Amino acid sequence: MLGKLALAGIKNRRRDYLVLLVGLTMSAAIFYMFANLATNQAFIKANAVVSQAAIIFGFGAVLLILITIVYIMYANSFLLSMRQHDYGLFMMLGATRKRVGELVFLETLILGTLATAVGIVLGLLMSQFLVGLLLDMLGLHLAHLSAFYLPAVIATAVLYVGLFILASLFNLVRLTRTTVLKLLHTDEQANQPKIHPFRQMVSAVLGVLFLAIGYWALAAIKTLQVSAIPVALVTITIGTYLLFRATILVIIQGLRRTKWAKKHLNGFLLGQLNFRVYNYTRMLTIVSLLFAMALGAITVGSGYHRQLPMMANSLGTYTVAIHDKNAQEQKLIDQLNVKHQATYTQKRQGKVVYYNTAELKRQPFELNRGTTEAKYRTHPAYYSESLAKFKKSGSQSLDFLSLAIRSEQGFYAPQFLNAKQFAKQRGKTVTVTTVRVKSMNQDKAVLKHLNKLELQRFAQPSAMTVGNYQSFELMSAFFGGLEFMGYFLGIAFLAMLASCLMFKILSGAPGDKQRYQMLYKIGVRQNLMRHGIAKEIGILFLIPGIMGVIDVLFGLQMFKPLMQSPMSPYLGIGSIFAIFIGLYAIYYVITLLLYWRIVLPKAPAD
Amino acid sequence: MTTNTVVDVHDLEKTYGKANERQYQALKGLNFTVEAGEFVGIMGASGSGKTTLLNMLSTLDTPTKGDVVVNGHDVTKMRGNQLADFRAQEVGFIFQDFNLLESLTAEENIGLPLALKGTSSRVMDQAIHEVADTLSIADLLPKYPAELSGGQKQRIAAARAIVHHPAILMGDEPTGALDSTSARELLDLMTTINREQHMSVLLVTHDPFSASFCQRILFIKDGQIGSEIKRGEQDRSAFYQQILNELGTFNE
Repeated sequence: MLGKLALAGIKNRRRDYLVLLVGLTMSAAIFYMFANLATNQAFIKANAVVSQAAIIFGFGAVLLILITIVYIMYANSFLLSMRQHDYGLFMMLGATRKRVGELVFLETLILGTLATAVGIVLGLLMSQFLVGLLLDMLGLHLAHLSAFYLPAVIATAVLYVGLFILASLFNLVRLTRTTVLKLLHTDEQANQPKIHPFRQMVSAVLGVLFLAIGYWALAAIKTLQVSAIPVALVTITIGTYLLFRATILVIIQGLRRTKWAKKHLNGFLLGQLNFRVYNYTRMLTIVSLLFAMALGAITVGSGYHRQLPMMANSLGTYTVAIHDKNAQEQKLIDQLNVKHQATYTQKRQGKVVYYNTAELKRQPFELNRGTTEAKYRTHPAYYSESLAKFKKSGSQSLDFLSLAIRSEQGFYAPQFLNAKQFAKQRGKTVTVTTVRVKSMNQDKAVLKHLNKLELQRFAQPSAMTVGNYQSFELMSAFFGGLEFMGYFLGIAFLAMLASCLMFKILSGAPGDKQRYQMLYKIGVRQNLMRHGIAKEIGILFLIPGIMGVIDVLFGLQMFKPLMQSPMSPYLGIGSIFAIFIGLYAIYYVITLLLYWRIVLPKAPAD
Repeated sequence: MTTNTVVDVHDLEKTYGKANERQYQALKGLNFTVEAGEFVGIMGASGSGKTTLLNMLSTLDTPTKGDVVVNGHDVTKMRGNQLADFRAQEVGFIFQDFNLLESLTAEENIGLPLALKGTSSRVMDQAIHEVADTLSIADLLPKYPAELSGGQKQRIAAARAIVHHPAILMGDEPTGALDSTSARELLDLMTTINREQHMSVLLVTHDPFSASFCQRILFIKDGQIGSEIKRGEQDRSAFYQQILNELGTFNE
C-alpha cells in the first residue's frame, strides 16, 4: 500500500523526476565515454605519442570522479527535498520508520540504477557518434577507438551504483533521524545570517591573500613545477570561499539599506539572496572552480588546435620539401597557395651533397629568424643571405641540411660548386623543391596528400622531420590527446556543474513556493514575480560564472610554459568564452523555466 | 449603490467541479453589503462557505455567477494584473497563518505593499513608522519573523494590511493561531483601526469571542445567509451572549 502511495507521489511530480533522471543519465553517459577512452589500453597505446598521456587521462579521470560525486550529492538532495514532505506524511499516518526507510532506500537505488543503465547505453551511442564527430572536427585520428569496451562499462556501473547505494544510505539515515514535524515543515525555515564586522574583515583579507598566493603559484609554474597545481587548487578554493563569505553578505545587506531596495520586489529579492547566498557559499565556490576548470580545459584545448600551425611555422622556413617531384606531385603543388617556392639540384656522393652556386644565387635559400632568435618567434621573419655568407652560416641551418638526409647517420655535408664544376661533378642527381604556403590550415588536405606521397617514396628516419608540415603533424599527434581531453572534459564539466547548480537551486524551490503564494495573495503581479525569480536565479548563476572567468584568466598562466610563444593560452579565448557562456546560459534558462513552473502560483481558472 | 457602500455582494454563486463532473455548490446566491466604517463579522460552521466567500471578495477565486463590487470596482470583471493590483491597493489582509515573508525583516514586510505601488522611500518610511506607532510595534521593526512570537507576528501582519490605507481590511480567522491574550490584543487593535481610521473591517471567524468585537454579524449556513444580528448599543459581553444564543438555535 505504502509502495503504491510512494509511486503515486512520484507520478504527480513526473516532470521533476524526468529532469533528475535525464541529468543523471547524461552524467553516466559522459562518464562512460570518458572511461571508454581512459581505460582502453589499446587506444591509449596506439595514440600516446607522449608518455604523459596516461597521466593526463588519469588526472582527468580523478577530476571527473570528484565532480560526479558532487553532482550525485546535489541531485540526491534535490530528490530528498521533493520527497521529504511525502515521507513525513506517511510517518504521520503511522507508517513505521523502518518501512519508510526501505521505501527511501529503494526509490533512490531504483532511480540511480535506471539512470546508470540508460546512461551507459546512451554513452555507447554517443561514443559511436559524438566522439567520432569531435575528433573529425579537430582533424585528429585516434586509432583503436571502439564504442563498446567492457571494462569501461563495468567501471561506470560500479562507480554509479556504488554512489547511489551511498546516497540511498545517506537518505535513509537522514530521514529516519529527523522528526516527523521537521520533515513536514522543512520548507518553512530560513536562517538569517548575522554580520560580524571583524570576522568579516579578517576573512576578506585572508581570502584575498589566499587568492593572491594561488594566482601567483599558477603564474610561477616554471619555478614551482608540478607542485604549483595542488598549491593553487587549495589556496584558490579557500580564498574564493572566504571572499564569498566576507563580501557577498556585506554587499547584500548594504544594498538592502538603499532606496533601490524599497522599490517593487527588490527588497524581497535581496532578502531571498541574503539567506540563500550564505547557504550556497560552499556550493558557489565549488561551482566557480569547476566552471574555471571546464572553461580552462576548453580554452587550452582549442588554443592548441588554433595555434599549432603558428608554432609549426616558427620552426622552419619551408612547409614541405619534395624530392624529384613527379607529375602528380606537381599537380598538388599547383593547388597550394604558395608564398615562396624554390627548386635546387643536388648531386649526392659519399657523405657529401653538392649544390650549384649559380642556382643558389638565382634563388637564394630562405632563412627564418624565428628559428634562432626568440623575439621573432611570434612573427616569423624570412630573409636570405649573400652567397658568401650563406656558405659559412646559412648552409649549416637545420632547414638546409634537412634537404639531404642520409638515413640514420644524419645529413649529407653540403658543398658548393660553380656551374661548370657542378656539371662535371659525379654523383646521384636529385632535385628538391621547397614550398612555403600562406596558411597551413587552409591547405591542410593538399599538404597531407603531398607529404604522404613524399614519405612513401623516400622513407625517412622517424626522428627526422622535413618541413614545417611534418612538424605540424608530429605536434598534432603530440598534443592530440591533450587537446581532445580539453574539449571533452570541458564539455563534461560544464554539463555537470551547471546541472549541479540547477539541482541546488531547484531544491530550494518547494520552500519558495509558499513565499510566492504569499506574494500572490497580497497582490503582486505575475510579471513582477517572474522577473524577480529571473533576477534571483540569474544572480546565483552569475556569481560563480564571474569568479570562474577570473579564475580561468589567471589559471591560463599555468599553460604559458607549455604553450611557448608564438602560442599563447590567451589567444582567441573570446570566442571560446562566448560559446561556453552560451551553453551556461541555456542551463540558466532551463532552471528558470522549471523554477517558474514549480514556484509560481496559478491564477484561478474561470 | 451609494458611495458609502464598500462591499456589495449580489446574487453570488460558486460551484466547484466541471459541468460533466459531480458538482458541489458552495455558495447559493448570497446578497449582502458592508458600509464604509462598518465592522462586520461572518460566522458559520466549517464547510458553510465562509472561506469560499472570502476568496471571492479578495479575488483569489472567481465566482460562477453574480457580482462582487468592492469600493466601486467590480472584481468579477477584472483579469490578470488588474486583480493583482486590486489586491495590492484596495484590500488589506490578515491571515490565520500570518503570511509574513521570513526572508524579510518586519519593517520590510510592512513596507511591501507600498513598495509594490512604487512609493518613494521617504514616504514609505514615514508610513511605516506611523503605522508602527499606532500598533506599538516600533521596537519590532528590525526583527525577522522567526524572532517574533505569534501575537507579535500577527500585529506585524496587521500593520502590513493597513499601511497602504486600503478600502477594507479582511481577516480570515486572524486569531486562529493565537493564544487568548494575543487574540484579545489583536481584536482590540482591529477595533481601534476600525474606529480611528474609519476603515471597514470584514472578519471571517467561527469563534464567538472574536465575533463579539463586530457591530454586525452574518451567519452563513450551506452557502446562504441564514440570519443576521446587530450589536447596537449593548456592551460586548451581552453581544457575546447573543451570539452564543444565536449559534445555539442557528445550528439546530
